[in-house]
Amino acid sequence: MNYDMEDTQNSAPGSLPANQASKLAPRRAPDAQSTTKRLQTELMQLMNSPTPGISAFPSADGNILTWAATIEGPEETPYEGLTLKLSFAFPSNYPYAPPTVLFQTPIYHPNVDFSGRICLDILKDKWTAAYNIQTVLLSLQSLLGEPNNASPLNGEAAELWDKDMEEFKKKVTARHQDIDDE
Amino acid sequence: MFQPQPTPYSPFSAYGISPSAASFPGFQPVGPVDSGGPTAFRDPLFHPAPNVNAGRLNYTNHNNPPRPYKMEGMSDMEAQEAMARDFQPALEGPLVGEKKSSHAITEEYAKADPIYVAKTAASISSCFNCTALTDPRRCRRNTPIIGLYLGMAIADGGVGLPHRSFNALLAQLAGPAEAAPIITAGFSYFETLLRQGSKALLDEEVARMTSLDNLLTTVGGFEAWLFEDMVLETTNLLRDMADLVQTNPQGAADLLLQRFNDPEISNAIVYHFRLLASSWLKGSSDEYLGFIPENLGVDGYTKNWLEPVNQEIDHLGMSLLIDVLLKPIGFAVEIVYLDRSEGSQVNAHLIQRQDSNGVPTDLGGPVIHLLYRPSHYDILYKEAAPLRLQAVNEVARNVQVNRATNFSHQHSIQSTPMGEFSPFDLQALLSIPGFSMPPSHHGFPPQYQPPIDQTYAPSPISSISPISPSASSATTPSSSVLPAAFPTQQPPTSSLASPTLTAPHQTFPPTTALPIHSHLPPPPHRPTLNTHHSFSTELSSPSSAGSSFRPSKYEFQSAADWAQEGPVQFQTSTFKNSHYNTAHYNNPNFQPEEWSPEAEEQQMTRKKSS
Repeated sequence: MNYDMEDTQNSAPGSLPANQASKLAPRRAPDAQSTTKRLQTELMQLMNSPTPGISAFPSADGNILTWAATIEGPEETPYEGLTLKLSFAFPSNYPYAPPTVLFQTPIYHPNVDFSGRICLDILKDKWTAAYNIQTVLLSLQSLLGEPNNASPLNGEAAELWDKDMEEFKKKVTARHQDIDDE
Repeated sequence: MFQPQPTPYSPFSAYGISPSAASFPGFQPVGPVDSGGPTAFRDPLFHPAPNVNAGRLNYTNHNNPPRPYKMEGMSDMEAQEAMARDFQPALEGPLVGEKKSSHAITEEYAKADPIYVAKTAASISSCFNCTALTDPRRCRRNTPIIGLYLGMAIADGGVGLPHRSFNALLAQLAGPAEAAPIITAGFSYFETLLRQGSKALLDEEVARMTSLDNLLTTVGGFEAWLFEDMVLETTNLLRDMADLVQTNPQGAADLLLQRFNDPEISNAIVYHFRLLASSWLKGSSDEYLGFIPENLGVDGYTKNWLEPVNQEIDHLGMSLLIDVLLKPIGFAVEIVYLDRSEGSQVNAHLIQRQDSNGVPTDLGGPVIHLLYRPSHYDILYKEAAPLRLQAVNEVARNVQVNRATNFSHQHSIQSTPMGEFSPFDLQALLSIPGFSMPPSHHGFPPQYQPPIDQTYAPSPISSISPISPSASSATTPSSSVLPAAFPTQQPPTSSLASPTLTAPHQTFPPTTALPIHSHLPPPPHRPTLNTHHSFSTELSSPSSAGSSFRPSKYEFQSAADWAQEGPVQFQTSTFKNSHYNTAHYNNPNFQPEEWSPEAEEQQMTRKKSS
């Protein structure tokens, strides 16, 4: 029994499974040349003038539109000493649209949810084409030490941050697990 | 198309994303919404609706295989959220539109607030053609006028909105904004440069744009490698235009349009200009500090208003752009504001370079005319470039569909069977030699005195080319003054049923000495005896036999009322007061007519005597 098919048939008319939808979608932007060039430039910048505490590199599969990055937890924060991995997925019209950034390392943080999604305005509507991978990583690093508890994704974390830092730290440690490189 | 998927029960609704919310394009969750608890959806009822137009929709998450610790079923949720978050409405049509008749704009506004109606009429009198630069419906902040588009779309099933389905329209209403104003300003910059026809000027601009890199790095604080590619698109376009401008101006114009409609290129150019505006603000913050809203400060303003890619620039942004881009080369900008401020006249502001005494230094220089509608600018052209007849016909057809809300004044009398009419352009009347109106009808706003633009060569033929004999001879009460003023024209009634009706491509014979810049007042629309004569003959003519039209006494009486209430703008009062004009519903004094033949007889008698 093919349950996938069943789901498809049960769904409302007009909808298609995502894999089919992606086939129907018009080709991606025909020319991501400028995006590729821009990402290559960013890579060069990152390699020529590395910033302590952050690093980023295109993923191993040869697709320059996906990167892997790491942040060192800033000192004097609950994340001190931790290394956090992230993934970047760049749209074909980058830098005119923000990359999708996810924490790959499980992290307990008021503005990050349990699947690694991040609530940060510069990755959403405040994105500017003058931002780049480096500035995003630096912003995320400072977000670790200064969460925006006004709009938490993880309400418990936000509450603990304000009320019980010891418990918060315990949760951070419990949640953290180093992940291997792919 | 992104369609809502009705589901009887949505497990997601408790988490803040109901199918309807997710499918509403304006809904952009700031992030995932589950607050930490494990969520497992084994058999989601709701499948993320695919977006077949997802040219810009990036299923970026698909690049990442789900991590082991992720919740099962989360990928659906993710995909759905990614769609909501990344949703860009499928905007069809070019970023920069073709020139179109100002009637198109007038029509749009005829459905709107009376203030708009009056103002459009007033401002349109100053121009012949407009280029709609990006559709206004692309803009984000929905002003009432945009809401009215929606109503219109529902009413006519979207027929009146070429190229756009209703769903697409919905998407645009709430979707992320295109940078409409900044594209407009940028396009004007290139276009006006091109119109100067000077290769040297374009070469100078290449140099100036390159030298402004310095401003970006030192004042703006942007790293060169970030913007170099963007500047390159600007300078490339300038160079390519410089190569073509003297040998093949049309080719240069086409190139400009083509580049601006390539998102990759226009994104770069527009962002370059954003960075320029931002740097300019940082460099002369004292001058602008008072204009920065909400005490954001220069940094806050640039971060929140100028630099975010999808943020429309506001008035300050526009001023900055003008200051950095246009003023230094002596281009003046006149903005006609079509907003909801009080009064029936448009506010126009001329922004130009001045010396320290406030005296304009570039008198006679090129002027860019922009028509501001909330969140949107159109470029107004005083020259009357020949309209593409195709476009005219398209308008004419839409006009047919939207007859009830059309502003074009033949519509009080033309009816559906005649599909071939081009919109009758009142400008034709203005271009008839010797045609003049009593000054009492001079509805031109006194404060609106556009400088005469030397760069436009009035072209007698093109200025009236949109008008076909059939259109003009399709007699309307108001246009029947035409034979009197222009006796060489064949009598309208005789041509009404003639074959020329179906040949709208003919043009008037060339006339000379057209008062292009004279801003003549509109033709009088008060009914005359003559009007009623032709009116009745037309009613009895075969071509109108199938017409559903019946004359309304209000068309004539209230035209006179309007004249008493205030200055009559350049408006087609006949249509304006037609019962077809839904703008009436905004008028507290409006009451539907009740037709009684006897009353009309009396009416005519009274008018004759008066």
